[in-house]
Amino acid sequence: MSKKVKTKWGIEGDVKDVEVSIADDDVEPWGYDAKLAVVGGRHRRPGGDLIVTGRAKYTFDVNLPGMLWGKILRSPHAHAAVRRIDLSKAKAVAGVKAALARVQVGGHVHYAGQEVAAVAAESEEIAAEAARKIEVDYDVLPHAVTCEDAMKDGAPKVLENVENVSGGRRPERERGDVEGALKSSDATVEATYSTQVQMHSAMESHGVVVRWDSDAQMTCWASTQGTDAVRGQLAQYFKLKRSNVRVITEFMGGGFGAKLGPGPFGVIAGELAREAGAPVKVMLDRAEEQTAAGSRPNSIQKVRAGMNKDMTLTAWDIDAHGTGGVGGGWGLRSPMIYNFKNVRTKFAQVLTNAGSSCAMRAPGHPESSFAVELAIDELAAKLGLDPLEVRRKNDDHPVRRREYVVGAEKIGWKNRPRTGSQTGRVRRGMGLASSRWGQMVSTGAEVNVVCYADGSVEVQSGAQDIGTGTRTVLAAVAAEEFGLKVADVKVSIGDTNFPSGPASGGSVTANSLAPAVRLACDALKKEIFVVAAEELGVKPAELACADGKVAPAKDPTRSITWKRACGLLGGEKMTRSGKRFENYKGYTEEIGGVQFAEVEVDTETGVIRPRRIVAVHDCGRIVNRNGAENQVAGGVIMGLSYALFEERRMDRATGAMVNPDFLGYKIAGPLDMPAIEPVLIEMANGRNNVGLYGLGEPPVIPTAGAIACAVLNAIGRPVRSLPMTPDKVLEALES
Amino acid sequence: MNPFELVQARSVEEAVKAMQEKPDAKLKAAGVDLLDEMKSFTASPGRVVNLYKIKGLGGISATKAGLEIGALTTLADVAVQQEYAALAEAAREAATPEIRNMATVGGNLCQRPRCGYYRQSAFHCLKKGGDKCFAIEGDNKYHAVFDAGKCPIVHPSNLAPALIAFDAVLHVQGKDGERDIPIAKFFSTDDVKRENVLEHSDVVLKVVLPVSTMKSAYREVREKQSFDFALASAAVALQIDGKSVKSSRVVLGAVAPTAKRREDVEKLLEGKEVTPKLAEEAGAKAAEGATPLSMNKYKVKLIKAVVRRAVAAAAELKEEQP
Amino acid sequence: MGKPRKEVSRRAFLKGAGAAGAGAALLGAGIAPPKGPPVLKKKNAVSFELNGKKVGVEVEPRVTLMNALRNHLDTTGPKNACDRGTCGACTVILDGKPILSCLMLAVDADGAKITTIEGLAEPGKLHPIQEAFLDADALQCGFCTSGMIVGCKSLLDANKTPKVDDVKAALAGHLCRCGTYPRIFDACLKAAERMK
Repeated sequence: MSKKVKTKWGIEGDVKDVEVSIADDDVEPWGYDAKLAVVGGRHRRPGGDLIVTGRAKYTFDVNLPGMLWGKILRSPHAHAAVRRIDLSKAKAVAGVKAALARVQVGGHVHYAGQEVAAVAAESEEIAAEAARKIEVDYDVLPHAVTCEDAMKDGAPKVLENVENVSGGRRPERERGDVEGALKSSDATVEATYSTQVQMHSAMESHGVVVRWDSDAQMTCWASTQGTDAVRGQLAQYFKLKRSNVRVITEFMGGGFGAKLGPGPFGVIAGELAREAGAPVKVMLDRAEEQTAAGSRPNSIQKVRAGMNKDMTLTAWDIDAHGTGGVGGGWGLRSPMIYNFKNVRTKFAQVLTNAGSSCAMRAPGHPESSFAVELAIDELAAKLGLDPLEVRRKNDDHPVRRREYVVGAEKIGWKNRPRTGSQTGRVRRGMGLASSRWGQMVSTGAEVNVVCYADGSVEVQSGAQDIGTGTRTVLAAVAAEEFGLKVADVKVSIGDTNFPSGPASGGSVTANSLAPAVRLACDALKKEIFVVAAEELGVKPAELACADGKVAPAKDPTRSITWKRACGLLGGEKMTRSGKRFENYKGYTEEIGGVQFAEVEVDTETGVIRPRRIVAVHDCGRIVNRNGAENQVAGGVIMGLSYALFEERRMDRATGAMVNPDFLGYKIAGPLDMPAIEPVLIEMANGRNNVGLYGLGEPPVIPTAGAIACAVLNAIGRPVRSLPMTPDKVLEALES
Repeated sequence: MNPFELVQARSVEEAVKAMQEKPDAKLKAAGVDLLDEMKSFTASPGRVVNLYKIKGLGGISATKAGLEIGALTTLADVAVQQEYAALAEAAREAATPEIRNMATVGGNLCQRPRCGYYRQSAFHCLKKGGDKCFAIEGDNKYHAVFDAGKCPIVHPSNLAPALIAFDAVLHVQGKDGERDIPIAKFFSTDDVKRENVLEHSDVVLKVVLPVSTMKSAYREVREKQSFDFALASAAVALQIDGKSVKSSRVVLGAVAPTAKRREDVEKLLEGKEVTPKLAEEAGAKAAEGATPLSMNKYKVKLIKAVVRRAVAAAAELKEEQP
Repeated sequence: MGKPRKEVSRRAFLKGAGAAGAGAALLGAGIAPPKGPPVLKKKNAVSFELNGKKVGVEVEPRVTLMNALRNHLDTTGPKNACDRGTCGACTVILDGKPILSCLMLAVDADGAKITTIEGLAEPGKLHPIQEAFLDADALQCGFCTSGMIVGCKSLLDANKTPKVDDVKAALAGHLCRCGTYPRIFDACLKAAERMK
């Protein structure tokens, strides 16, 4: 059943009084004018003290008594049939306690880096040495590791029973009359835009420590962004009751979409641990991580687009393909944002004998954004139009419309040089690009909030913190409800013994959990107000929590301390759960974001140096300002690194990766940083009782496009291929 | 890595002898490069001879002959020496602060190439005794544009071009005692499995830079500013007499299997006053004769840029700095 | 330019020689017959000062300092993120200088004085850099944080008044995949300010 409540939502200058239907059991949303003491502030992150002192235990740091180290032997071939596997020499190495084959004789491997066999040994060093002593004979089969090779007539089959090329999720569709519109457009562009395969490259590699507590019970420490998913999949694989599998992820070193399950390495660790009768740790080394642990697929986007002098975007025609390796998972969202009048899309997914893709921070979006934004700026340059005005004309999103104005002011857009007007060795340019992402939610999420007799407070969730500051968000909401400080709230997360939390994908963690915390706190406050009201001689409904006290809202002088109130509950502690209801209506139902980049291009070397990036983003109500800004800057940096440096490089002849390390696979470092200025739009959004939505993914989407547009502005020529390395910039300058 | 025995040499003599005893032994200074290779199973020596604890192999000293740099001197210590600007700049541009605190001059000169094929054990390339080079037909974006031959690596040492520019001499001790090797003759492509003329048991003792009054500079271009190897680099040293260049050294790095001295460019400079135009001409000249591979044509332009910049910087011309 | 200056160079010589020649004492089993140099084979006793305490550990020659710390001495603050010296996560301060513990053999650290992230705070009192990291929220997943803080510590030991470009240069060997760099720079500068 639902109830109707009044609230205010919107952004400064556009605040609306509205009535929304919310679930009967839900609490009323914090409206635009809600007076909040903690939420929206800057806070030290709970648990941060453990990290800065080096005492936080990540999965890689878990060392159990008697624990063994597992090491996986991987296929050196991109495609092969296994003829023989002999574990005996590996088993003969002193200190080896278990060994197993992962592929049956006669079975096939489909990429260089695929798991073939594994050992467990007393030390990391022995395991690495022994894994290479496993003997494997292969019949090498023909392979294809590039789209071009896999799409050729007579190309080798990547997988035995599947066609190399398929329609993907949305094979072909047309809205309007693209051909007619292109013919009558004032300007058109016809070009191919390409993006590379990007690797997630989390600092902590994938891995687990598995301990069998009995034949039927397992504890798994996992570097994962989905504790429940790891539990479910391990239970299924080992035929255990879910109740008998516990997954712990107290701290984890980044995921970005690649750590949503136990992976083959998790299963291997479980098998090795069972065989050896001892706990086993399997952490991928950097080369394994870069070859076999996920990636963002590449894209080759053949585009025809049109624009009129009145800034109408007449047509968008895209014929694109790309590869997610052996596992697929390829897709684009094109044209993503702007109001193209006529649109035709044709997409094809190509299988290749390379490691499988995994969802990577806004899958399909940065790729699409790069092509759309650069094509629009090419059209604008042809017609002498201002790229900012073109976007404002073709975008109805109420928050983004504000973000264009705020960002343009902040970067000094009026100082943007005319495209192609510069002749110096070092040329400066500005560009902008936009973001969109869905306001997704995981409605299965629950949390516990515990009030102890001494007034201490704990929030519990099975969800993990992949680095976004989940602990801070949960603590801030509980502190707000109880009139406490963030430091007063302990947050225990990353353990499947706690209530089910969302997998951290789709930018859902904070917005799925925070409203549930409010509900749990509300339930506890009801109990506390009953006992406190009796003590104070007032009615429970008159009471409120503030400044560490419980008091009548209208007469704060008659108060008892929070600690005293909790003591009155009797017993050791009281626990209440909160759940996440479905989203209801809101001011916006899609996440925005606009970024402006200012770059310098050295035309003699082709080196691009971003100087400033202004990133204007929205996340509904800001709960944890530090975390939100951190997310924005982090997304920008990952986008910058994607724009300029990163690329998986495959050897076509052998099918193996040439750069599975941090020297060859180049990630932006401290000296590559421009000034990054995150700007958060203050708003109340509705949709849930806190009014927040996600921010993990949106900031990574527009950065490459904004930088590409700035480069076009600087040098008067588009660089249509990522990463925009010196070779490509110099080639563009020559054209 | 595979297990190995570690010989804790206390003297160079002991190190040489320990090397002589085992054909699969490897010398180790700090181990920055060797450990990387061993962890990747690119190298699996049964014996490692540790030079790291030998006394007297580190440190910089000025003598009448010039500057003597012990083989165990760290790049960080080279980076702060003041007499040979190009050398200090090359050291400062190398790797990262932590690595510069560890990596030694001897190790820098003897490090193995960064070719992705060489570094992955999956590729049994010529350099590792295999029968093919994967880069020539494969990914050669970061490879040589001069003298590619059958193994188009680029030598990764930043110090090499600068040391060649200063006519440095290496003092080496081997099975037949000590000898000197002029740096220009140190690097070699004669044996595809090695990058220099050192024999198995040779230990580099020190590098000696003759007294020099040349003005010098080192410039490089790389994709990333944080920890990246150069795409092209140049060390330039100029003896300027009055206004004109009396003698010069122009040495290219990261574009050939060895650091490459360009006497034709030196000739072009000599007898002339360094102007922006002359610097540009030097760059253009330095790019002549390049024979790029399928993916590295861009490096030819980068050679022009780094030589022009290094010449201009050595002559202290003012110019726009990106 | 001009003639080499002898005074400067002699100081440099002493400094360099000290670093390279440190800790010549050799310990351990598997020592070869007299006269020849010691040959380390299986397990060798290595001892060093770790965060102010003498510690000893028995390791094979192939064990890196990083793995000796992490796997044998329960000192997991230095992180294993690349194991090839390319990310800075395993940085420790050895005899006063930041180095990468993954690229040094544990036996080479024999006799050294080592400070890891665990050694920065005093009991009940965080180091000002640690405080600044918390105040600036200069971390996301936190896996690079140990190395970043040790890198900042090394910078501030040598330079009390750094500019942001000094911080960038000092941390050039450190990767943060979450992209927290700007806050790390801020934290380092904030700490420098507070430590004045």
